[in-house]
Parts: sequence; structure tokens; C-alpha cells
Amino acid sequence: MKRKVHISMKSNHMLAVMTIVAVGVILGVFTSSRIAEPVRSAVGSVVAPIQNGINTIGGQLSTQFSGFQNVQKLSAENKELKSQIADLKEKNNALAQSSDELTRLEKLYDLDQEYPQYAKVGAEVISKDPGNWFSTFVVNKGSDDGIKVDMNVMAQGGLIGIVTRVGKTWAQVRAIIDDDSNVSAMAASTSEPCMVTGDLLGMDEGKIKFYGLRDSDNAIIEGASIVTSNISNKYLPGLLIGYVSDISIDSNNLTKSGTIIPVASFRSLREVLILTDLKQTEENSK
Amino acid sequence: MKRKLILFLILFLFFLLQTAVLPFIPALWAVPNLLLIFVVSIAFMQGTTEGMTTGFLAGLLVDLTYGRIPGFTMVVYMYLGYWNGRYARIYFDEDVKVPLLLVTVSDFVYSIIYYVAYFLLRGRTNFGGYLVGVILPEIVSTLIFTLILYHLIYRINHSMVEVEKKGKQSLWIRD
Repeated sequence: MKRKVHISMKSNHMLAVMTIVAVGVILGVFTSSRIAEPVRSAVGSVVAPIQNGINTIGGQLSTQFSGFQNVQKLSAENKELKSQIADLKEKNNALAQSSDELTRLEKLYDLDQEYPQYAKVGAEVISKDPGNWFSTFVVNKGSDDGIKVDMNVMAQGGLIGIVTRVGKTWAQVRAIIDDDSNVSAMAASTSEPCMVTGDLLGMDEGKIKFYGLRDSDNAIIEGASIVTSNISNKYLPGLLIGYVSDISIDSNNLTKSGTIIPVASFRSLREVLILTDLKQTEENSK
Repeated sequence: MKRKLILFLILFLFFLLQTAVLPFIPALWAVPNLLLIFVVSIAFMQGTTEGMTTGFLAGLLVDLTYGRIPGFTMVVYMYLGYWNGRYARIYFDEDVKVPLLLVTVSDFVYSIIYYVAYFLLRGRTNFGGYLVGVILPEIVSTLIFTLILYHLIYRINHSMVEVEKKGKQSLWIRD
């Protein structure tokens, strides 16, 4: 017969011990990520395939779910959709205008030559951050598919984020709407640099912020496109981020700030493209 | 032991639901904190020791996959598990009112700590905006899911506790 060893410990003592362990873990990880990364990578490799599987079930479930909605809801939705159509028509006109502008600018900036030059890998979003505070997500491609940290991620024709962590079969991406995200960008028409940051409170309206834009000629108006800057050391140059939604002059009278509507929609995000070219910087090429 | 293993599997299932299924349902305005529901429920039913162990494991899962400061969620969930476990003395049946209250307070406390650690310290001082825009929607959706899931957790845990009790009373079946 096997004898069981019972370790009896008061729960508040145990709490103290476990707190010390956890604080130790925090300190250990802060001082050297070499200990933590293999563990996290291994856990990710176990979790990611399961999430991948369950995610497909979830996708089916959500389509089923929408099928069950009752008629009342549908008629209300119909009304809403009709108003949305009117809204969208308006937006479409605006977009057609800005797309004309874009094609002109693309020619100016040779974007049409630069975009296809980047090699891309398609990937699927399999899970998202468990809270409502940050916008990071995991895709089902990893180092096995040649994904590396700092690779740019695009969707629906615009920049969506950057790879922050990579496992064998998964990669974690920080979206540009994430409150922690900072992208070095520029106005496409004037090449003046600015910073684009995510904003949690603007997320509901689908807007992100930009600041530090010099625009003494007032050339940047609503609808102007903002692209990634060529002085950024992580983002490839000329990737479209979004269009200026509103802009105002800062109290220093030198720079302007405002909001951008990103090209890519984040709520409905399922497929992304990972650009496998890394930005070549002095640091990288050494 | 068997009960704990099954509970861990349910915890893992909740984690998968919270990260890989629920965020993709567009009708949901905020992703509910299923892990917190699980930690609070188990703590309320089983007491401080199991509460904090569950919290520790739940936090570990989050920290190893999505954690920004490794160990942060672990510590917060652990303390929430411990604190909720102290209310186990008033637990006696599957009434959902007390757990609802505990989940509300716990989610609020968790959100406040999260806000201070990740947002206030980065100079995001607009607390009112975050309260209305992020914290309250999450609490509401978490409460709705508590109504659905608490009975489920209760049934599963309760039936297994009964089996364990019987096993302890019997002279023959003892491991």
C-alpha cells in the first residue's frame, strides 16, 4: 500500500509562500528573459494547436449563433442596415476620392513598386488577449514558417501590427490599435514624420491617435493618408496605416495631432498577411 | 486528486473559450473574464487553499501566454482566490446571489489593479473613461456569464465532492 505524505499548512502561510515564489518569478523574468522564454515558448506550442482547433469550432458557432436571431431583431437590424447603407454610400464616395488621391500618391512614392516586393505569408488569427485592455493576438504561423520577431503584419490592405513573440507554430502580434503600440509614421503627401499610437478609449470608434506632425502649409486635411515612415527602424516604409479623421494644431503652435481611421478593421480580423522581409537597419545587418 | 485534475481541465477549457472563441463573437460587447468566474466559484465553494491554488494556476495560464509582466496575473488571481475563499463559510447551496456579488467585487478590484499597473503608470489618467468604456462593460458581461456558468461549476464540483466524501468514509476504498 502506498502511503500518502500529507503536508498540512495553514492557507495564509501558503499564501505568503506562494507570493514569495511569484515575486521571485517576476524578478527572475525581469533580470533575465532567458529563463522564462523557453517555458513560455513550450506552453505556447501546447496551447496554440488546441486554440487553433477550438477556434474553427468557435467560428462555426458564431455563424450558427447569428442564425438563431429572431425576426424582430432582424427587422430592427434591417432598418439599421438601411441607414448604414446610406452612410456607407457617403463613405464610399469619400473613399473613392481618397483612393484616387492614393493612386496618385502611390505613383509619386513608387509604392506600387515597393508593395509587391515584400514577401508575404498568410496566417489565421487563432486567439486574442484574454482581457479587454490590450489588442494582441496569436496567429497560427511561427518560426517553422520563417516568422521572426519585428516582422510587419498587414490585413485588408493596411498595416495591422508587428510580431512581438514567436514560437514554433505560433506568433504573437501586437496590433497598432493596442494602447502600447507606437508606430513611426509620416504623411504620404508631405513626408513629414509623426507618431501613431494606439488608444484604448478610441477603440470603440475604431480610431487611433497621431501626434507630432509638422504641417506649416496646412497640406494635411481630413482623408489624407498616413503611411509608415522610412526612418522607422522596425516598420517597412510606405505601408498604409489609415486616413486622417480629424486634425488640430497643438498648443505649441508647431505640430499637429489628431485621429486616424485605420484601413484594417480589427474586430472582424481573421486572416492576416505577415511580411517576411525585415527592415534592414545598421543594427540588423551587423 | 481526480477532482482536481478535472477542475484543472475545466479551467483550461474556460481559458480556451475566453481567448479563442468568445473574442470572435461580434455580438459580445466585451469579453467576459471566465477565468475569474472559475476562480471565484471554486474559492467560494472550497475555501482559501483551493481558491488560491486555482487563482495561481489561472494566472499562470494567462501569464505564460499573454502576460505582459510575467507573474502579475498570477499574484492578483491568487489573492482574489484567497480572499474569496474566506467567504466559503457562508456557502451552503447553489444559490447564485453571493457568487454574483463576489464576482462583481473581484472583477472590479482586478480591473482597478490592472488599470493602475498598466495604464495609470503610463500616464493614462482618464479613469472615468476607462471605467465606463472598459471596466463596466466587462463586469456586465462577466456577470451574465456567471449566471450561466456558476450552476455548471457547482454541479460538477458538488458531485465530485460527494464522491470524495463517500470514499473517505468507506474503510475499503482508500488510496
